[in-house]
Amino acid sequence: MTAKSWHLDRRTFLRGSSLLGTSISLGLPWLECMGNDSSTTTAITAKRFCSMYFGFGVSLPKEDSEDARCRWFPTSEGANYEVSHTLQPLEPLRDKLTVLGGLSHPMGRKMGAHDTGDTFLTGALLHNKFLQNTVSADQLAAEVLRDKTRFPCLVMSTDGGVGEPTRSSTLSYDIKGRPIPALNQPQQIFNRFFGAGDQDSIAEHKLLRSKAKMLDRVLADSKSIRLKLGQQDQQKLDEYLSSVRQIEQGVERSQKWLEIPRLELRDEERDLLHLDADDKAPLTYIRTMYDLIYLAFRTDSTRVATYQITNMADASSKAGKFPQLEGFKSSLHSLAHDWNKPGGAEALGPWDRLMVEQLSYFLSRLAAATERDGSILSNSVVLYGSSNSNTHNNRNYPLLLAGGANLGLKHGRYLRLGEEVPLSNLLLTMLNCVGVETERFSDSTNDLSVLTQT
Amino acid sequence: MVIRANSLLQVLCYVPVLWLVLCGNHVSGRLFAGEPQGDSPVSRATALLRSNCFSCHGEQEAEADFRLDLINTNFQNDPVTAEKWQRVLDAIRDEAMPPPDAKQLTADERRWLVNWVDGEIQQYVKSSSVTRPPRRKLTRVEYQNTMRDLLGIEMDFARDLPADPISPDGFTNDSRLLELTPVHLDAYLDSARNALQRVIVSHARPAEFHHRFERSNVSAWHGETHISSELGRQQQFLARIESAYPEQGEFLVRVSVSVELMPHCGFPLLEVAVGYRPDTQILFREFPVVEISTPGEQVYEFRGNIQDFPLPVRGQGKFPGLVVRLRNTYDDGSPLPKGVKTDGKKLVYPAEPHLPLLRVQSVEFHGPVFDTWPPAQHANIVTEIGSNGEPKRSDVRQIVTRFAQRAFRRPLSNSELRSLMKFYSEVRSDFPKFEDALRETLAFILIQPGFLFVPGTDQTQADNGKSENGKSTGEDNWVLASRLSYFLWSSMPDARLFDLAANGLLSQPEILQAEVERMLRNPKSSAFFEQFADQWLGLDLIQGVEVNKDFYPHFDAALKTEMVKESREFFAEMVRSNYSAQDFILADFSMLNESLARHYGIEGVLGNQLRRVRFPPSHHRGGLLGQAGFLLAGSTGTDSHPVRRAVWIRDRLLNDPPRPPPANVPGLDAIDSSFQQLSVREKLEVHRHDPTCASCHQDLDPWGIALENFDAVGLWREELRVSRGEEFVKSPIVAKDIFSDGFELAGPEQLKERLGCDLSDRFARSVLSRLLTYALGRPLDVMDHAATLELEKQFADSGYRMRDLLKIIVASDLFRGSTFGRNQHDR
Repeated sequence: MTAKSWHLDRRTFLRGSSLLGTSISLGLPWLECMGNDSSTTTAITAKRFCSMYFGFGVSLPKEDSEDARCRWFPTSEGANYEVSHTLQPLEPLRDKLTVLGGLSHPMGRKMGAHDTGDTFLTGALLHNKFLQNTVSADQLAAEVLRDKTRFPCLVMSTDGGVGEPTRSSTLSYDIKGRPIPALNQPQQIFNRFFGAGDQDSIAEHKLLRSKAKMLDRVLADSKSIRLKLGQQDQQKLDEYLSSVRQIEQGVERSQKWLEIPRLELRDEERDLLHLDADDKAPLTYIRTMYDLIYLAFRTDSTRVATYQITNMADASSKAGKFPQLEGFKSSLHSLAHDWNKPGGAEALGPWDRLMVEQLSYFLSRLAAATERDGSILSNSVVLYGSSNSNTHNNRNYPLLLAGGANLGLKHGRYLRLGEEVPLSNLLLTMLNCVGVETERFSDSTNDLSVLTQT
Repeated sequence: MVIRANSLLQVLCYVPVLWLVLCGNHVSGRLFAGEPQGDSPVSRATALLRSNCFSCHGEQEAEADFRLDLINTNFQNDPVTAEKWQRVLDAIRDEAMPPPDAKQLTADERRWLVNWVDGEIQQYVKSSSVTRPPRRKLTRVEYQNTMRDLLGIEMDFARDLPADPISPDGFTNDSRLLELTPVHLDAYLDSARNALQRVIVSHARPAEFHHRFERSNVSAWHGETHISSELGRQQQFLARIESAYPEQGEFLVRVSVSVELMPHCGFPLLEVAVGYRPDTQILFREFPVVEISTPGEQVYEFRGNIQDFPLPVRGQGKFPGLVVRLRNTYDDGSPLPKGVKTDGKKLVYPAEPHLPLLRVQSVEFHGPVFDTWPPAQHANIVTEIGSNGEPKRSDVRQIVTRFAQRAFRRPLSNSELRSLMKFYSEVRSDFPKFEDALRETLAFILIQPGFLFVPGTDQTQADNGKSENGKSTGEDNWVLASRLSYFLWSSMPDARLFDLAANGLLSQPEILQAEVERMLRNPKSSAFFEQFADQWLGLDLIQGVEVNKDFYPHFDAALKTEMVKESREFFAEMVRSNYSAQDFILADFSMLNESLARHYGIEGVLGNQLRRVRFPPSHHRGGLLGQAGFLLAGSTGTDSHPVRRAVWIRDRLLNDPPRPPPANVPGLDAIDSSFQQLSVREKLEVHRHDPTCASCHQDLDPWGIALENFDAVGLWREELRVSRGEEFVKSPIVAKDIFSDGFELAGPEQLKERLGCDLSDRFARSVLSRLLTYALGRPLDVMDHAATLELEKQFADSGYRMRDLLKIIVASDLFRGSTFGRNQHDR
């Protein structure tokens, strides 16, 4: 049994190798976008996506009750809304943000009271028998923006890691709905983003380098391959090589970042950082985490960031003890549970305000950082909120949308929306603002055009 | 003859070389494009076809979308036209055409025409330069099994691979469709790295944890959980390890149970699961259930890799600790007793003394477990290295060579080895330990074409290492070993096949036959039964049908899994016991276990194990056509769907799929609102009044209507139920219909007789065709025709025996790969 018919088709082979030739030049265009050292001079607006989350909702006494000053939401709607005491620290930024009421995830309404933290940015339905999440909005933004920066995203939480389903300690879920571990140590985040790299990233780089060598070798070998290639066989090999080349481009892109020097931080920026901050000193810690997002955006190291400040994992959560560590009488869970007991609103309200003060600090820094075409804030969409209005209530999330003036967002209002509007509509609008071209996100029914109209 | 202007505009074609030689003059190529010249065979053929066929297959009618007036006589490099001529040949030779009511060919004319068309096709086969894809990418399942056998560990290797494309025949191993995208390649590399991280260890012997539980140490889970050591249908045994558990490596759960069996009942089913948060399902992973058929005390062991199980996050979870959960999943189908809340809190379910009981004596957890350090999988690959220190380069070369040869399933060429060693040297300095560089080198092997592609059946010399020195002897054996193992195991060859290949023995006919027998006896052959039976019979459709609870309130969705197993096991039984192909249709038995038997109303079948069960004639069951899975797949979940069943019979059993409906036909439901109220059968009646539909459905529907006595879940019925408002309206079943040629078919018995007796040759040929398609990993075409006819003859000679068929295919030139049709003709 001998097959004599396998002559190497010279033309086919040459076609294959000429394809190889093009691959080398294909790697080049990336330099163009990577050359944009975008500290201050971004050729095209650097659009950013950012979201913060806190657990258990807020204090919401009735507007006519005696502790009404502890109510999170403003009292009147529209552009002339009267700011609440809790939101008062944001007053200087009034024209740069919108207070949103009435929104929630319809699927979240069907879920357990404390189970909705996982779906804040996904809108999925987590059933006790089927705890499968879906992709979060920030990761869709990262898909589009990742090639422009050294890191696709910065995912942070106070507790770190992924937690467990329904008690997630991350806001971010990949395209398959798998949780993305959150970073929670300032020093580690700093090393990874601004220093020589943390242990994980060093290991990643080694594997990346090794992968690049594999791909190089495959391509090199394929040139000298002495197979008796039939036409169809050549097609299969070409398909394989073309996949190799496409992956190689991604690897090259990632590797290029290793060669481009990181942007030096300014001295005053370093001085401000408390990299030794931990969860024992909550306010310093939260500010440091905010500072890290600010620096990551300022140096254009990434354009997507999520930060879960507190979650709903109750006693096992580090963030659960934050109020006590700051001199409050009880844990976050207890504060949240007792908000409508006598004196409860008075106890939770100040905590809500303290959190708003930290946000105000963060937004002010973004607003003060000028870029070629405005401030970082005006080029970023920033969502801040919870997935409970008050504890055990999965509707009417307290939400603040800030920034993005350059991306089409109009601010300065308190908008109350009906329950027929799913929160995914807001997330869709945020995605559209940062350049994700989609007409749907999760269970969205439309975009939230009111945000882009005056 | 009227020459049509538009036909003249067709591309100028040439007659086959044969005709140039024979006739010596240049004849117009398009058969019917011009006036035939002289007495050439082409003109005679033209005349015959025009007078006998054009009236239906021409300008005016174009029956079956088939126009003979436009068919080209030249098809040297035109497989599509060649296929058309093959259809013409088959129809004329089998006397299927012209139909009885049309003008007939004389015997002489028919014989001449058959010879002429056949000659043209032979010429095409000889001269065609169309080649087959010689290489086939591993399917998901093949990749999974190959990684398992190569590395010696169980893991979900294929997790991130996209689903394989499905061919029109239902197969996922079609070499033309399988693609290798960047997503695939990235997933292959990630999977290889993750797996090698587990297989090759570079850390010190880890600390071990040992636990023993005699009773549940979890008492206060919320949710409706009854915790107990006596496991009936609703109890659980939960053993929790708060923090002293490993996070990587193999673990062992040893369960000691005392078993009480009950008469007239099946056996207890021990389910062991590991995870956390017992109030959810996703946070547990179950081991395969163990059926325990002997009473008394006994011990069972379960092994897994802890990284494959849901692990709680230390210090973070609301439900800290790793939990081993035991259940008894045996269910006799009787109503569940209600739970009672004792002392106002705990839920307790009453004992059910008529059911088998598992009494848990103890549960042990050990992990990580290994017989030696480093573990066997590591030692099997990293053989040359002493206790510690940097290995010699020659040792690394040994390791890499041995691994690559197994991965590539053939000897490694010098240049391949050089390339691998070069890579090793390049990355060695990047990593602190040689094991890291070795892992990367082995991962590199696992993304190369030599690993990811199996040689196709039309390539003898694949990328065979030895071809460098021009020697071809023995090479076929390596390729054959791969083909054989991917056919019968969906995995790489084992050591014995490699040995036989290395010694050039595998291609010897007796040895090859003996290997087929050996491989079928090996448990790995379940992959073949599963892959082929599921894809041939379309068993995955079963899971896709949602059964209507209003109509079938007692239907348990878990039964669908058993239905898949029934058909799969039935196929396996046909092969293992070497049944005749007709028995797929005519058998009076099927493969049942307790739950299937309960569904069919057969008593005395106890236990989970599938076994042969004979049906009394009153059950109208036995063979493929009575299997609930097929019947459910051919239903809407509410009612039977005779068209779906009919299409399945025509496509899967007769290899004669009906043409898809024309694009502009509205769905049956779109006609009017009262239409919705009709049964599927009634809807069909309405729709056959429409002549465009009727032309196809008349010869399609009767196949499915004969099975109308089987309802959506495959149970016998005498009455049809239709939901009208709150209630069901009943009407008698009509299971009789007439084909366009007047043949009447009524009920499953007549259907079986038709398929299993009248059409048994056709059915057997169809089985062969599908099995051959799967074995070759590509659809059959005209080029295979002669070879296939030869196989059909051998199959018929064997009495259509199924295991013999596997041997016939394996021994064939088509499978062994020397062949195109053309090679055969050369002989």
